[in-house]
Amino acid sequence: MTPLAEKLRIELSQRPQQFSELVDAHREVPWRTFLQAWGSLRAANILKRDEDGNYTV
Amino acid sequence: MKRSFRDFVTELEAADEVVTINKPVDLRDVSALISQSDKAVMFRNVKEYEDWRVIGNLVSTRRRLALAMGSTENDVALRFEEGVRRPIDPVLITKAPCQEVVRTGADVDLTAIPYPLMHKLDGGPYISATCVVSKDPEFGRNVGSYRLMYRTPTETGIDLVSPSDMRRYYQRALDAGRPLEIAVAVGVHPYELLAASYKAPIDVDEYAIAGGLHRHPVELVKCKTVDLEVPADAELVLEGELIPIGWTADEGPFGEFSHISGDVKWNPIFRVKAITHRRDPIFYLLQMPWENDWLCAPVVEAAGLQALRAASVQPVAIRAPVGACGYFTLIASIRKRAGEGKNALLALLSVAEVKLAIVTDEDINIHDPDQIDWALTFRVQADQDVIVVSGARGKHVDPSVRAWELGKGKLPTTAKLGIDATIGEGIPRKFHRRLEYYRANDVKLQDYL
Repeated sequence: MTPLAEKLRIELSQRPQQFSELVDAHREVPWRTFLQAWGSLRAANILKRDEDGNYTV
Repeated sequence: MKRSFRDFVTELEAADEVVTINKPVDLRDVSALISQSDKAVMFRNVKEYEDWRVIGNLVSTRRRLALAMGSTENDVALRFEEGVRRPIDPVLITKAPCQEVVRTGADVDLTAIPYPLMHKLDGGPYISATCVVSKDPEFGRNVGSYRLMYRTPTETGIDLVSPSDMRRYYQRALDAGRPLEIAVAVGVHPYELLAASYKAPIDVDEYAIAGGLHRHPVELVKCKTVDLEVPADAELVLEGELIPIGWTADEGPFGEFSHISGDVKWNPIFRVKAITHRRDPIFYLLQMPWENDWLCAPVVEAAGLQALRAASVQPVAIRAPVGACGYFTLIASIRKRAGEGKNALLALLSVAEVKLAIVTDEDINIHDPDQIDWALTFRVQADQDVIVVSGARGKHVDPSVRAWELGKGKLPTTAKLGIDATIGEGIPRKFHRRLEYYRANDVKLQDYL
């Protein structure tokens, strides 16, 4: 898992978030880098959803 | 001559319907920028995607839809129906623009495509302007349109909740414990998208309907890694398979064509085995709701015309109002014989998930909402002219069907309402004579100014 993916995992462990909130929090990161980090979270099979569509871990 | 996606973009540019943005833009800002334009928007300098151009808002008005259809604004349904009635089989070619660049194996990386986040509550970036082809050993080829949510560089979610032929193909593959191969073409002419959206009988090839619309065969090419064919002039193609996991992976929400942010759904996963595209590809960003709604309208209108003709009712005009997403309401005027107001309603309510149908007479201009109101006011008796059908097939995007109360992969039902706003049987025509001004055709105000 990349450092960014690990950061995203920690942020989601602190509170459920919409995908766009995570994007907003990391606007300094190139889009492709963000998507690759997100993909590694998906591949780790740790993402869950709540009833409002937020992501959690 | 078969027109390509790029031909259509060129036609829009010639009609002064495209704004071109040359300044560098972040892909994360593209959707919001497109939503602020009355015209189609072409981005020529998207950061991180130097090899791509991105375009959106292509058919988000009836004028641009009519340009795509090569018809007047009020005749798009007739034009679409003509294509449906005269299908032309596709032809297979061996060398295709959509395969100028081929990426397979470790080179497959969906992040290399300008995969945009469109709406604030979306569960991830989406590709929505898709023409998805699949095959079933018994039923043959099917082409539909399904949205794809980014998951990983090699996987997407796919919304396969609603009833469709491909949903049936996937269920059959799932029952047999095997994956279902699919290929996704993006950046095809609106005719191909419209044909893909049309609910054709399962044995009808949607590529032949697209050919009927073009009045020319669609050229197809064999995919590189799956036994399927895609439009040769597409901008981008994804090849792969729906893995046999059923409706178990989270997908959504997505800003739906109903203008509402949807819910999380449970859907299959698309595993991508190859990405092919043109050397200088254009990514078509079709965002909700207007562009999708205008693309829905001719498909639903043509289905309504066909249903009326099958019921031996003579249609004069038909409209799927964009306020009801070009999908949920049909308004038709007919040349009526006794009882046919009700026959027409029954026919129109049989179309897909249409939940409101209004039928009126040929003297009413159904493209004028004031005239519809007038007919509803003076030609309707609610206890005689209103039909309600309960428990018909519904659609998840409609919150009133309470789809969230269903289990994973379950289908909702809906009530349907029909209003017969034709002049009732036994009412003399003289009670519907419109007032006319005395000497209206004999004097001109202009002559007195």
